[in-house]
Amino acid sequence: MFSYYLKLSLKSIRKNPYLSGLMMIAIALGIGASMTTITVNYLMSSNPIPHKSEQLYYVQLDSWSPHFPAQEPNEPPDQMTWRDANNLMDAQQAFRQTAMASSGAVIEPPDRDNKPFMASLRLNFADFFPMFDAPFLYGRAWEYADDKAGNYVAVISKETNDRVFGGENSVGRPITIGGQQFTVTGVLDDWVLVPRFYDVTTGAFKGTEDVYIPFAMKELMQLPNGGNTNCWKSPEGEGFEAFLQSECVNYQMWVELPTQADKNAYMAFLNAYAEEQKALGRFPRPLNNRLSDVMTWMENQEVVADDAQMMMWMAFLFLLVCLLNTIGLLLSKFATRTGDIALRRAIGSPRSAIFSQYVMESALIGVIGGLLGLGLALLGLQGIKQLYGSFVSDLVELDLTMVMLAIALSIVASILAGCYPAWRACSVPPASNLKTQ
Amino acid sequence: MLIMTNLEKTFRTDLVETHALRDFNLEVKEGDFVSVTGPSGSGKTTFLNIAGLLESYTGGTYMLDDYNVATLNDKQRSRLRNEKIGFIFQSFNLIPDLNLFDNVDVPLRYRGLGSAERKKRITESLEKVGLGNRMKHLPSQLSGGQQQRVAIARALAGEPRFLLADEPTGNLDSQMAKSVMTLLKEINLQGTTIIMVTHDPELAMQTSRNVFVKDGKICDAADVHTMPLASNQ
Repeated sequence: MFSYYLKLSLKSIRKNPYLSGLMMIAIALGIGASMTTITVNYLMSSNPIPHKSEQLYYVQLDSWSPHFPAQEPNEPPDQMTWRDANNLMDAQQAFRQTAMASSGAVIEPPDRDNKPFMASLRLNFADFFPMFDAPFLYGRAWEYADDKAGNYVAVISKETNDRVFGGENSVGRPITIGGQQFTVTGVLDDWVLVPRFYDVTTGAFKGTEDVYIPFAMKELMQLPNGGNTNCWKSPEGEGFEAFLQSECVNYQMWVELPTQADKNAYMAFLNAYAEEQKALGRFPRPLNNRLSDVMTWMENQEVVADDAQMMMWMAFLFLLVCLLNTIGLLLSKFATRTGDIALRRAIGSPRSAIFSQYVMESALIGVIGGLLGLGLALLGLQGIKQLYGSFVSDLVELDLTMVMLAIALSIVASILAGCYPAWRACSVPPASNLKTQ
Repeated sequence: MLIMTNLEKTFRTDLVETHALRDFNLEVKEGDFVSVTGPSGSGKTTFLNIAGLLESYTGGTYMLDDYNVATLNDKQRSRLRNEKIGFIFQSFNLIPDLNLFDNVDVPLRYRGLGSAERKKRITESLEKVGLGNRMKHLPSQLSGGQQQRVAIARALAGEPRFLLADEPTGNLDSQMAKSVMTLLKEINLQGTTIIMVTHDPELAMQTSRNVFVKDGKICDAADVHTMPLASNQ
């Protein structure tokens, strides 16, 4: 009977093209708005590194004031001090680890015709690249020995390589960053992380950096702070070195801990470290150190903005309004068919068959509306691209999951919308409606 | 095969109670061709609707082929209608956007017959009413008499044991009415039991038995030639 109901539904839609079209547009608008916001939320909240998100941990040490927490109710600071970052790195207690910070510097291309430009920098350790699965186009990461020795080595992004070296394999070639000459050890391929989870303090939806250099360059080159810097007390002394040794936090720390035992051991190490620092007169607060895996950290940092979630719920409400309109239109459409229904009942159709026939018609309208809605969602996402610029342009796309979700949502929504009108239709008393034809 | 005993049908509103049928007793045997006559509002159509399981009754018993109709649920009633009863209406009640083939196909679809069997039955029944060459026509492309023939073909395709006809010639001119009546008589001769509601005394006289209904009751069941017949309205 499926094909029969489908045939009848198509005939009915063709018979009332304007009314059917209105319903399709109503569903399309609802689906379009919902899918646009769902896609944005889906991308915002997606797991950026699913195969190891439960092995990568963000480290928090509570080095904050004895009088108030870094954040209510009792949150430790979301970054750490230079001193702590270096101490933890020196300890090498994790399978992999990297402290990191963001900064910026001018890059001077060797070609004089190519103008110097400001580049975003990430200061990190060698483990950064394998920990976060950074893809290499040419070469590789530098070695931990380079970190220890303070060697001037760099990994550059594909875009930077295109800009400075015209896209050639630049491994081993010199590049001038912040007035210092570095040697390129590797060129990253296109690397899109959504969200860019390794540093959400400066915005989780920014692109990856132009250049990556050893963490030690912060001190050696006296590079400026990037992102947020927070202090609970003023530095003791003047100048860059005094600032580095202060209780100001500007550095992130990630560790890779493959097993629960590794995690427990590292947590014990952190607490022992904090006790050690307490003995030295630091860490005045009670022990409050944290290890958060990737998704926990995203949640803690509220990566999915409240307004994005609000928009999504608003869009669902809009879809509900569209469905209520569709219900009204379906009731009006089915009300004109009482003669047809009564006749079918008279010649042997049970109520369930009439119900199925009309639900099928609603579902078909929903499918067509859903496909139109997908088109509107694509337009909506184009609008978001225009609004938020080039970074999101590679990201805000409807993938297969989203397309399937849109179609499923439209079918479910239209079937739900069609149930009441279909139930009304199948409740038509045949006897009193047969003479109305 | 159709036995109504002390059947009652009362329509109730907040203010009024109307007895459409009361103490209605009727037995129709296999092969009968029964005409039901009576003045307007006498309960003829209510009787036909109850007989066709389109409406429930409020009292008495109704046995159709040994089924106590009161005990049947919607699905069972629908199945009985589909398999045992054929309907012919005064206003034809064809589905306007389906061609003749698809119109006749409707009851067969609900019976769940295979496509080859359905096609055979549709072709045969349309040929039987003389419209075998118009299967792809829409009802609006036919005359009233032809549309009624399609309705008869639709009823016949299901090979029903009962044919319930409500004023089948009411919307037709005398020539077409005559041809439809001839067709019904042929169908009856082939064994189908027919119950026909009509206002037309001439048609009633052509049936084997007339039932006169007045105020929801059968006055008497007698030979049609001795019964007073309602004037055509």
